[in-house]
Amino acid sequence: MTTLAPSTDLDFYSEEVILNPYDTYRRLRDTAPAVWLERYQVWAVTRYDDVYAALHDHRTFASGYGVALNDPLNEKMKGSALVSDPPYHDHVRGVMGGPLTPRALRKHHDYFQERADALIDHLLELGRFDGVRDFAQIFPLSVVPDLLGWPAEGREHFLDWASAGFQALGPMNERALRDLPTLKGMWEYMAEIVRPGRLAPGSWGAALVEAAEKGEVDKQLLPALIGDYLVPSLDTTVSALSTMLWQLGENPDQWRMVREDPSLIPNVLNESIRYEAPIRALSRYVTEDTEIGGIPLARGSRALMVYASANRDERHWKDPDTFDVTRSNANTHVGFGHGIHGCVGQGLARLEGHSLLNALVRKVARIEVGQPTWRVHNTIRAMTTLPVEFSA
Amino acid sequence: MDIHVDYARCEGHGLCEEVASSLFRLDDEGELVTLFDGERVPEGYEDDAMRAVRACPVSALRAQ
Ligand code: HEM
Ligand code: SF4
Repeated sequence: MTTLAPSTDLDFYSEEVILNPYDTYRRLRDTAPAVWLERYQVWAVTRYDDVYAALHDHRTFASGYGVALNDPLNEKMKGSALVSDPPYHDHVRGVMGGPLTPRALRKHHDYFQERADALIDHLLELGRFDGVRDFAQIFPLSVVPDLLGWPAEGREHFLDWASAGFQALGPMNERALRDLPTLKGMWEYMAEIVRPGRLAPGSWGAALVEAAEKGEVDKQLLPALIGDYLVPSLDTTVSALSTMLWQLGENPDQWRMVREDPSLIPNVLNESIRYEAPIRALSRYVTEDTEIGGIPLARGSRALMVYASANRDERHWKDPDTFDVTRSNANTHVGFGHGIHGCVGQGLARLEGHSLLNALVRKVARIEVGQPTWRVHNTIRAMTTLPVEFSA
Repeated sequence: MDIHVDYARCEGHGLCEEVASSLFRLDDEGELVTLFDGERVPEGYEDDAMRAVRACPVSALRAQ
């Protein structure tokens, strides 16, 4: 028996689909477990169980040939944790992931809480502010560069670099091409910043440089590894924090519940990342003939793991399009990925989110939000602006 | 049923404890400890064990 592969000329990266993605994802889920996207020559995998299973089968669905939808970036990123396979991946993740484990981050808890409290006090004084710029961007930017050990100069480029890095993780379309010069600028900077002595002593960045000096990692790979700390840590967290504030403002009854029961805090962050997955999708290279739900995938093809669709799959979630901080299985979302490439920075992202929520619960009684405006971005579900008003 | 913990992979995210606190706990240092002898899951706790295997976000737990 032969199965005809389901195939579509849908433009998965069109402005319409990016701005209003969830109807399209549902149609893809209802069509088949894997649907061939003709324009991008990739299988879209959109159901929760299939995405989960593929992420946990890293031999068949490999990352070492790249996770972007274009060859130049896949080539450029080789050697990073994101773009590698075991056994090298285990090694590199052990080296760069060490300081990011919840265990290692414990010593920073007080520092994060102080920063979060100061930010919320400041925003309460302002009263009205922009939730993206003044809350979601400013917090990660105030902690990550210091921990990484980055000197004062160059920091003004971080958000643009992170955005350009993720833009290029999609197809090489006009959006990605427009951002290429920014990305080239970042790579030049990275090559220079990894010279001994440039990154602050005792920082995560300096530790990597030392590891390279000792021969534990290849010096040539240092820029990609510093990139592992920088690029994936900003736009993603900014997206999650924006969604969190937006949805808490949209659902005052839920905000009241969280204030009354702060043990809900971890679930608020999980539900925010489930509801609007900050990373829409990344791809895998199929290393041997396989199948997904009966659809054959040939060796050498590519499969797109659509995290943002898995997180709304009605086969896994009850009322998937409803934001619900009491959702009992919110922690099963795949917004951080899952499996051996599951986000190595999730402890840091949680620490940032929980510190802010802790401060909010204590200080802010009412969160009022206006309509967000959305950015058209290849990989990140991102807002440009979100009007917010706090009252104590 | 046996559960093998790959301690090199375990980063201490604690999701196993969230879904199966009778089997897994993070100690005061944030290190994962299993609350059963060796790798053998006590009878009656197989479902909890499987939930933990599925929940671990970085593939550090394996059922055998
Ligand atoms: C809310 C915030 C975040 C989200 C939603 C997020 C999302 C993700 C996702 C979906 C993956 C899996 C990639 C794949 O399947 O190929 C991933 C991996 C990764 N993330 Fe995050 N991330 C966040 C924060 C961070 C932070 C703060 C850092 C760094 C300091 C970071 C560093 C990384 C790295 C290095 C990888 C690659 C890990 C590997 O391949 O082994 N992320 N992240
Ligand atoms: S969920 Fe996985 S990584 Fe986290 S503590 Fe348990 S075994 Fe370790």
